[in-house]
Amino acid sequence: MLLATTIILAVENGETTGIQLLPDASELVMGTVAFLLLVALMVKFVFPKANQAFEDRAAAIQGKMEEADAKLVEAEETKRTYEAGIADARGEADRIIEEARASAEALRADVVAKAEAEAAAIVERAQTDVAGERERVVQDLRAQVGAISVELAARIVERELDQATHEGLVDEYIQRLSSQN
Amino acid sequence: MTHVLAAAEWGGEFDGVLDDINALFDFPKFIDLGTWFGQDIGINRTIIIAWLMTALVGLLFVIAFRDPKLVPGKLQSALEMVIDFNRQIALDIIGPKGLKFVPMLTTFFVAIFALNIAKITPIFMLPPTGRMAWPLMFAVIAWLIYVGVGIQNQGLGGYFAGIAFPPGVPKALYIILTPIEIVSSLILRPFTLAIRLFANMAAGHILVVITLVTPWIFLSSARGWPIGVFGVVLGPLVFAFELFIIALQAYIFTMLTAVYIDSSMEAHH
Amino acid sequence: MTGSLNVIGYGLATLGPAIGLGMLIGKALESMARQPEAAGMVRTTMFIGIAVVEALALLGFVLAFAL
Repeated sequence: MLLATTIILAVENGETTGIQLLPDASELVMGTVAFLLLVALMVKFVFPKANQAFEDRAAAIQGKMEEADAKLVEAEETKRTYEAGIADARGEADRIIEEARASAEALRADVVAKAEAEAAAIVERAQTDVAGERERVVQDLRAQVGAISVELAARIVERELDQATHEGLVDEYIQRLSSQN
Repeated sequence: MTHVLAAAEWGGEFDGVLDDINALFDFPKFIDLGTWFGQDIGINRTIIIAWLMTALVGLLFVIAFRDPKLVPGKLQSALEMVIDFNRQIALDIIGPKGLKFVPMLTTFFVAIFALNIAKITPIFMLPPTGRMAWPLMFAVIAWLIYVGVGIQNQGLGGYFAGIAFPPGVPKALYIILTPIEIVSSLILRPFTLAIRLFANMAAGHILVVITLVTPWIFLSSARGWPIGVFGVVLGPLVFAFELFIIALQAYIFTMLTAVYIDSSMEAHH
Repeated sequence: MTGSLNVIGYGLATLGPAIGLGMLIGKALESMARQPEAAGMVRTTMFIGIAVVEALALLGFVLAFAL
């Protein structure tokens, strides 16, 4: 459609020149008017508001960033407090554990010592008992062996010896025997 | 040169129609506002397109920033991205002192982008920047700004002396250097700014028209229909390429303006 | 044989910018590869250079249609 228009116009004009290099006066005037109006519009209405918008946004972003910075500082402060609290608690717990461990150790040592003492006492007592018993048994045996020997000797030699002399002899013998033992 | 487009005649129905390349750019005035200072002033299609595109840009910005939100919506964040892009250009090239030029650079960028993109906007399909009036207007305004900045920062004499007699050069060389520097700084710079934008857009417009004409003419041709099919396939690619050029030219114009402002800020060369 | 000398002129006018763009972009890529941290600056400067060089080619293109 455009082409048809241009072609028809070209035919009607019947011009045969090339591209026109010099500006057309009315186009120059009208174009300049339009452009200057655009400039006035931009300078008067658009850019003050646009710059205002840019500044507002910059201020808002600045404010947000400052706020964020403040929050960050605050958060770090809180974190430091919490960390100190946690460290305290951890020290306390360590101390308690250490204490418990120490008391348990003491308790254990106490118990072990007591048990050892008891065991030693028992053993001691047992040894004493055993020694007493043995002494008693030896005493018994010695008496019996004396009596049996005398009886035996009396049966063997019959009347050749009197009781008292022989008892002294046997006693001496047994004395020697037990000292040999 | 118009014979390049005479290939379009091959379909046989448009004898001689595209002989006048200027018909793609120059449209008759349909509202006549009379004669002022010896010039016919009127409104034509290109002017209407330029007005509509400029109004669209202005409207978008006013709507987006009428009630700017701290958390921007879609339109606001998109346009903030554009402003931020220009702020980045200013910061990269001029430095922190360039921040006060951000509104100016942004206005240049969006105005040029809007006028350029009319090239591939349906119904319009004509870049006003493909007419010399608009690039020249932008270049002259850029020239006024960077010369004004130079005079403001270095004084009237200091600025022009800095241009004419760049320091650190043997005195004998000034005979050659001074005319070159004056011409390049004060005449060639705005001239190349304007020509670059104009030539890119004019060439792009011709390319788009050829791309659109090709299927129309060749698809109905008995022998030439494969060329028409080729044109249909090529269309989207050409549009994408033009979109790239449109953005690039707006960026380059803005960036070069920043570069020229930067060279006016201080006396170094 | 019909045609226009403008086309030949435009063809000639593309040669210089073509060589220039090739060298410019090649060197820019080289320095970007050598110093990736300076890539942004190099890219900006490269675009300025491209814009300057490309203006010549486009001048040729437009003048080919205009004259």
